[in-house]
Amino acid sequence: MTESDEELAKDLGLLSVLTIGVGTMIGAGIFVLPGEAAAAAGPAVALSFILGGVISLFTALSASELGTAMPKAGGSYYYVNHALGPLFGSVAGWGNWMGLAFASAFYTLGFGEYLATFLPIPALMLGPIGLSEFQVGALLAAIAFIAVNYIGAKETGSIQIVIVTLLIGILSVFSVLGLFQTDISTLRPFFPAETGGAAAIFPATGLVFVSFLGFAKITTVAEELKNPGRNLPLAVVGSVVIVTVMYGIIMVVLMGVINWQQLGPSFTTTPVLDVGEIAFGTIGIAGVGVGLLTFAGLLATASSANASILASSRINFAMGRDKLISDTLNAIHPTFATPYRSIAVTGAIILVFIVAGDVQTLAKAGSVLHLIVYGLLNVALIVMREADVEGYQPDFRVPLYPVVPVVGAFSSFGLIAFMKPIEIALSLVFVAGGLVWYLLYARDVAEKKGILSQYILDRSETMPPAAVSAASTVQPDGGTFRVMVPLANPQTEKDLITLASAIAKQRGGTVDAVHIVPTPDQTPLEYAADHVDDLEADHRTILDAAERDAETFGVDVETHTIYSHRPFEGIFDAAESHQAALVVLGWEADTNSFSDRVEGTFDELTDELPCDFVVLKDRGFDPDEILVPTAGGPDSDLSAEIAKLLQSEYDSDVTLLHVTDSETEGVTFLEDWAATHDLTDATLQVESGDIETAIERAANDSTMMIIGATERGLLSRLVRGSLVLDVVDDVDCSVLLAERPQTKSLSERLFKR
Amino acid sequence: MSQLFTDSIVVPVANQADATTTAAALEPYDIGEITVMYVVEKGDGVPDKTPVEQSEQIATESFAAFREAFPTAETETIYRRDVVTAISEVAREIDASAIVFHPRGGSRFRQFLTGDRSLRLITEAERPVIALPNEVSEA
Repeated sequence: MTESDEELAKDLGLLSVLTIGVGTMIGAGIFVLPGEAAAAAGPAVALSFILGGVISLFTALSASELGTAMPKAGGSYYYVNHALGPLFGSVAGWGNWMGLAFASAFYTLGFGEYLATFLPIPALMLGPIGLSEFQVGALLAAIAFIAVNYIGAKETGSIQIVIVTLLIGILSVFSVLGLFQTDISTLRPFFPAETGGAAAIFPATGLVFVSFLGFAKITTVAEELKNPGRNLPLAVVGSVVIVTVMYGIIMVVLMGVINWQQLGPSFTTTPVLDVGEIAFGTIGIAGVGVGLLTFAGLLATASSANASILASSRINFAMGRDKLISDTLNAIHPTFATPYRSIAVTGAIILVFIVAGDVQTLAKAGSVLHLIVYGLLNVALIVMREADVEGYQPDFRVPLYPVVPVVGAFSSFGLIAFMKPIEIALSLVFVAGGLVWYLLYARDVAEKKGILSQYILDRSETMPPAAVSAASTVQPDGGTFRVMVPLANPQTEKDLITLASAIAKQRGGTVDAVHIVPTPDQTPLEYAADHVDDLEADHRTILDAAERDAETFGVDVETHTIYSHRPFEGIFDAAESHQAALVVLGWEADTNSFSDRVEGTFDELTDELPCDFVVLKDRGFDPDEILVPTAGGPDSDLSAEIAKLLQSEYDSDVTLLHVTDSETEGVTFLEDWAATHDLTDATLQVESGDIETAIERAANDSTMMIIGATERGLLSRLVRGSLVLDVVDDVDCSVLLAERPQTKSLSERLFKR
Repeated sequence: MSQLFTDSIVVPVANQADATTTAAALEPYDIGEITVMYVVEKGDGVPDKTPVEQSEQIATESFAAFREAFPTAETETIYRRDVVTAISEVAREIDASAIVFHPRGGSRFRQFLTGDRSLRLITEAERPVIALPNEVSEA
């Protein structure tokens, strides 16, 4: 990818994203909810909107920091999954997805209400289900929005900007005209006793919170933003501030013009139109005003619904990428190039919600699910900061840490308490569903682990035991056996991949082919990534070949490219971050492409191998006759395991060799050793005399030798060429050198990375 | 000096299956340099219909599929709102002698919905456009 294309991939400017945020939010608060909201708290509902805005602001700040640090498709879901692991990730993913579906149903129902003001839509009986004219309108609208997204009709950025500008324009004129008609006495009592006085503000906030669900959608498209470090926080926070101010003013206008009791759902479904008639009536254009507002209401609810459907497909994509849902859901349509299945499924759910729910229930269920996600998002921010994750470098940091995320988390979770039990229960069904989903489905396939559990497990000594055991029980178990193969030389690629695939196949694991591109120190790594073809002419070919070769074994294969100034460090880091269980490395004594520069820090590194290492001295891959010389010890345990795996795959003849002067002792040792390593069908061979000559002699009859590294750090000296291991050079067959890390305790090896 | 139509061609592909079919249709011919390209469709100011990351993934898969038949093919990923102008642009950039593509058919209705790109490509391109025969059935 050239630099200019990188720029083009990011084509959303500040105004575009700001309009996404404002456009999504404004539809609900002003055009759908005021009636219900007025009935809930009277004129004081203006304060509910402002409170909702303040709560959103905390989460918006946290979302901005996370978004600039991780501009990834999926937004809130991605951060929660990344920081708190796939268990919470499942909850956040499902919560966010269903929350968006509820919200979309709510928006389209609002659309239906406006449609019904001028279109004679009939109410329908569908079997036992009666549908109001609003629901019929909503269903028609929803089907239209789903179809638009399914086919992927492209509106242009300018249309989006025009729509939102138009909306804000119409609402501003409305507010100004309305303010002249506002009578302070109509606003009294500000806290009517009928709704429960000032205390009614909180439950009403729960109701109107659905009007603030747009800001987090900006983060779902963060990867498309120009200059995200600046534009993301500005757009997220800015859109919350803009809509909060507008909501506050317009609520005062609405309830200052018409008494709140006459705005409620029992009198009208479209209070804005009623007030608009009076406001625009003062300048003699009541009809035009109502027409404009109806138009605005349709536009606003449509753009909210549309944005929500789009955002839900992003969340599906991100969940599929983390294997929390099946990736088949995210298949791209061959002609329309849209994630059509995801859109169709979300669409079907929305239709069900429209039929089943009323405006209030949909709004609140959508809010509760989003509040759960927002609460988790704030917790995710705290975890990212506390765990001090390498590579976590947000361009924007929340002010007053930790106050902002703590208040954000508490206020988000706290607001849930003001919902009705039935609405909470409905949402908890989806949360529980997310948990069950993770435990029954996703846990076996998910690979990614959260920062939180790593943080806890890395500090198992200092953390409370309950936390450690909890963190380890919910770890994903999928992809536990990853065989990483660093590739540099096309000549040895095939044999290395064959060996790795055979092992991975036997262990039900995956192969991770990593192309190491050694980069001169003078060249920045980013530059190298952009100019990979200049550095390595055969760049893709080697990975493509690896992919093909591994696929002949039917094992899953992943490919990665790593640019590193110090290739060996690169391998170690990759083994660690890719959570490899085994690294299969090629060793070419004379043409070793990894060892041609001095790597000072390497000695320290090899003291702590991140996982098992097998180094192949390749003289042709032929596992017919495998020789395993052993004197016991952990490294020869690894040799035995590899031998066993190759035996199962290739039906090899395995010979175990022990060199000792006492024949009987030797046989006993080998018998024991073979039994412990499940290699009882191997030929046992005891030799006496010089160890190296004995091994060389035995190797004459073999096609492959697997030998444990007998000294610590052997591997490092071997690859750097400072150690001449006569045996390896003197035999004619391929040699596998196995080294197993010793410093780590069993529990660390099991749980850490 | 005259130039062959097939000296250096640009081959747009839409997905993995399309890349395989196109490569198979191209295989019998003698061709100079090949650049296989993928257009990541951008919204140009609105969120894209497909996550960029996912589009890039498809591009990589498509290139890999194409390279099974033509391992030496150059690749080009381009980000544009309009697929057809993107193809012309790449063709101009690498000074291609022709644009070679495999029409993907589809019903009249579907072509109406997506805009008939084959027709637009043929009429709008500044370079020769070669359509590959459709006999090779979808793999």
